Amino acid sequence: MSLRLSTGPHLLHKESTRTLMLDVIIALVPTTAAGIYLFGSKAAWVLAVAVASAVLCEYLFQKLTRRPVRVLDLSAVVTGLILGLNLPAEAPLWLPAIGSAVAVILVKELFGGIGHNFMNPALLARGILLASWPARMSVYFMPIRVLGATSAVPAGPDAVSSATALIRPQGYEVYDLLMGNIPGTIGEVCKIAILIGFLYMLFVGTIKWHIPVIFVGTVALFTWLIGGDPLKAVLSGGLLFGAVFMATDYVTNPMLRIGQVIFAIGCGLLVAVIRMNGAFPEGVTYAILIMNILTPLIDRLTSRRVYGTVKQHA
Amino acid sequence: MKFSFKGGIHPLKEMHEGKGASRHQPIRDLVPETVSIPMDMHIGAPSAPCVQKGDRVLLGQVIATPVGGIGIPVHASVSGEVTGIEVRQLLNKQPSTCINITNDKLDEWAPLHPLGGVETAPADRIIQQVKDAGICGMGGACFPTHIKMSPPADKPVDTVILNGAECETFLTADHQLLLEQPGLVVDGLRAIMRGMGVTRGIIAIEDNKMDAVKAVREAAQGREGVSVAVLRTKYPQGGEKQLIEAITKRQVPSGGLPCDVGVAVFNVGTAAAVAEAVSLGKPLISRVTTVTGAVNKPSNLRLRIGTSFQAAIDEAGGTSEEPGKVFAGGSMTGIAAPNTGVSVTKANNGVVVLGQKDAVTPEPTPCIRCGRCVSACPAKLNPQRLKELCDMGNLAGAKKEHVMECIICASCSYVCPAKLELSPTFKEAKEKITARRI
Amino acid sequence: MPEKKQSIRGVFINGIFNENPIFRLVLGVCPTLAATTSATNGLGMGLAATFVLLGSNIVISLLRNFIPDKVRIPAFIVVISTFVTIVQMLIQAFVPALYEALGLFIPLIVVNCIILARAEAFAARNPVFHAAADGLGMGMGFTAGLILIGSVRELLGNGTIFGTAVFGASFEPMLLAVMAPGGFIFFGLILGIINAIVNRIGSRKGVQA
Repeated sequence: MSLRLSTGPHLLHKESTRTLMLDVIIALVPTTAAGIYLFGSKAAWVLAVAVASAVLCEYLFQKLTRRPVRVLDLSAVVTGLILGLNLPAEAPLWLPAIGSAVAVILVKELFGGIGHNFMNPALLARGILLASWPARMSVYFMPIRVLGATSAVPAGPDAVSSATALIRPQGYEVYDLLMGNIPGTIGEVCKIAILIGFLYMLFVGTIKWHIPVIFVGTVALFTWLIGGDPLKAVLSGGLLFGAVFMATDYVTNPMLRIGQVIFAIGCGLLVAVIRMNGAFPEGVTYAILIMNILTPLIDRLTSRRVYGTVKQHA
Repeated sequence: MKFSFKGGIHPLKEMHEGKGASRHQPIRDLVPETVSIPMDMHIGAPSAPCVQKGDRVLLGQVIATPVGGIGIPVHASVSGEVTGIEVRQLLNKQPSTCINITNDKLDEWAPLHPLGGVETAPADRIIQQVKDAGICGMGGACFPTHIKMSPPADKPVDTVILNGAECETFLTADHQLLLEQPGLVVDGLRAIMRGMGVTRGIIAIEDNKMDAVKAVREAAQGREGVSVAVLRTKYPQGGEKQLIEAITKRQVPSGGLPCDVGVAVFNVGTAAAVAEAVSLGKPLISRVTTVTGAVNKPSNLRLRIGTSFQAAIDEAGGTSEEPGKVFAGGSMTGIAAPNTGVSVTKANNGVVVLGQKDAVTPEPTPCIRCGRCVSACPAKLNPQRLKELCDMGNLAGAKKEHVMECIICASCSYVCPAKLELSPTFKEAKEKITARRI
Repeated sequence: MPEKKQSIRGVFINGIFNENPIFRLVLGVCPTLAATTSATNGLGMGLAATFVLLGSNIVISLLRNFIPDKVRIPAFIVVISTFVTIVQMLIQAFVPALYEALGLFIPLIVVNCIILARAEAFAARNPVFHAAADGLGMGMGFTAGLILIGSVRELLGNGTIFGTAVFGASFEPMLLAVMAPGGFIFFGLILGIINAIVNRIGSRKGVQA
């Protein structure tokens, strides 16, 4: 009889990187479903290509560079799905394909693979797509269907808006902002679906509430201070989607609670500032990316009092 | 009000901390055919054998005398013939001298020297009595109890805490002891308090053992200075530093001892042993141990010191599947046994058998910085950062980030979704830092 | 480090491959990033730098025994800036479009690390023919690198190479490739790929590349 020798713990929590990623995917299901309902089969194609390209690129890169293939940890699926949800439904299919390749290879694998990317891969890919094909990326389309009963908003395949709802949030009712009867990317429009995903992730413990709530709260507070409508500011654009699914990316936000609070406030302030004064109508992408870069710095500068010691000043 | 500390985890929550199988199993005695009693069950120099092969020894007879300042004697846990003195492997520690005795089943006691009732015994002789009884920390630390009871004069202790948290997974021995012999535990606490001259005694029990809380509360009725504190069920609630923080809100300073904040902590089993030593004069020859996991009849057994794991497992109905791993203690900090021939020691509160499937450790994958280890760490360290530093070989940096405050509770390793070996890394780092005086 | 043993041909080849200023020495990154928005710009910058390299290497090699050690850097700079002024005037006169495109980066050749580095490390210690070969080789290597990066960026960012359309009309150029961040990204990627290739060749030969 041979017994295994090892140090404790002898039994581990069932949670693994894969189950965490699976929980994120489950949390994205309502958003994905709402996006496909609202925008039709085109949205489904965009999402499918984004996910397929992300998984394929990761697999091929890891094979090519003779690294352990980690496709089964599902992180590439999450990256692809989030990127796809960040694209307009009318995007040509090469856009999600290139975007996922950029996200997985350029941002993730080249920096050492999962856990080593210095920015959120999906977000940076979106940023690169936005800079490369602004005409494709900054045109927001009206959904082809309406979610819910009411709406004065015209709906139909031809209803194309060149501006995001953000520019004229006053033009939309809160109900339509919540349901997603507004122009925008596939994933960002239906706020109810995003909130369901948020609650799911809170419930199963994938994420803590701090970053999304403080992020969104800061934007609301700032909007209120400058005389805007905080509710509509929160419900328009990609703020909720970014705060719930992208700012909470483990790899690119600080480790300590205090650092996460700083991170979230920073994101909120940057969004408010970019929305007010920036050249782009929407600032969530860049706000989170900038705070991603600052994350190592925040980690360095924050500390907590270790048991039995006096607080050290880092 | 429930007491608790910050951080920590709730291991094996979905399977009731692994305690379900042996919970409320009445304590049964196991009288083994032979025992093999190790000489270094306690922290400090191993005791020196004072019997020889062929000697007949009585139950409770001193068979090894203490060596050095903090040593304690070892007593025969059965009566019978010494069949040999040999060097054997103990769990994963260094080989140790063991005295083998064949049980003649007569249980003929050596002469006992009781001090009297715990409330009436002369207080100044209690500590010596505890030392002579060979008592050391039975919660796992194996620190000689009489030393703990004699803090330096400049560090007066005002509170004695009895640790009945039993936060480790799988273990129910202390729980059952509290249920069956609450009076004995309270007696032990009183004896310790009187011996140390302390007026406040607190018995701390986790809230997953409310029946034990009730039993101890009843037993403590009318006992001077004794109270019961209910702790939230959380790991490592029974860690000495965490227990002190939870109950007194005091933190043991870095590198210090509980007496630095005026507290002494004893395991409930230790207290029961103290009570028996004082009022009956009995030395420590047996202890309650949970034998559970992949066994047919999970049990709480009163095992003679030196009983082999195999005998304990057989008494618990034998293994229910091909064993893959056997460890002493709970699943968080238990020490894996190389074979089932190793002996039960004074600190051995559990023998847990895992099947082949559960024994496999998953492959580590890259860290995804999820921060679960940071939330879990009861010492408020940043395990993720420490792991990076240790992996880079930067021990000085790890020391600066307070790796020495790590209590190796393994909470970080338990929650890590990447299955990284965090706490073993820190244990190794601490040992290296101590050895190299970094 | 006298490199007299090397043949003139060896010195020339060395500059293009083994010690390619962009991909092996990683010198002159500033013009590399700025002048590679198209293959034509890369070629223009490369030729201008080659001219200056060749000229300054020859002159400095000829003067190497006369320049006092303490003032050698100012002396080198004077020589280099002379050639830069010449090349700037030539470009302005004969290729005004290139002059417009490169703008400030032509006078900035003066502070291009490659030129001063070769003057200091090679021309000041070697006979004139070796120095000329080194200047020419380094210049060709630099030019080749610029054209490579410029072609990739122009291809992706504009759909053309040397202004000739490569893809059909449906091609949508990737604007980022010709923007400043694209310069960093593509320079990094090409550098990485070349390093990977060189390492692989090196490990196959069993020598340190």
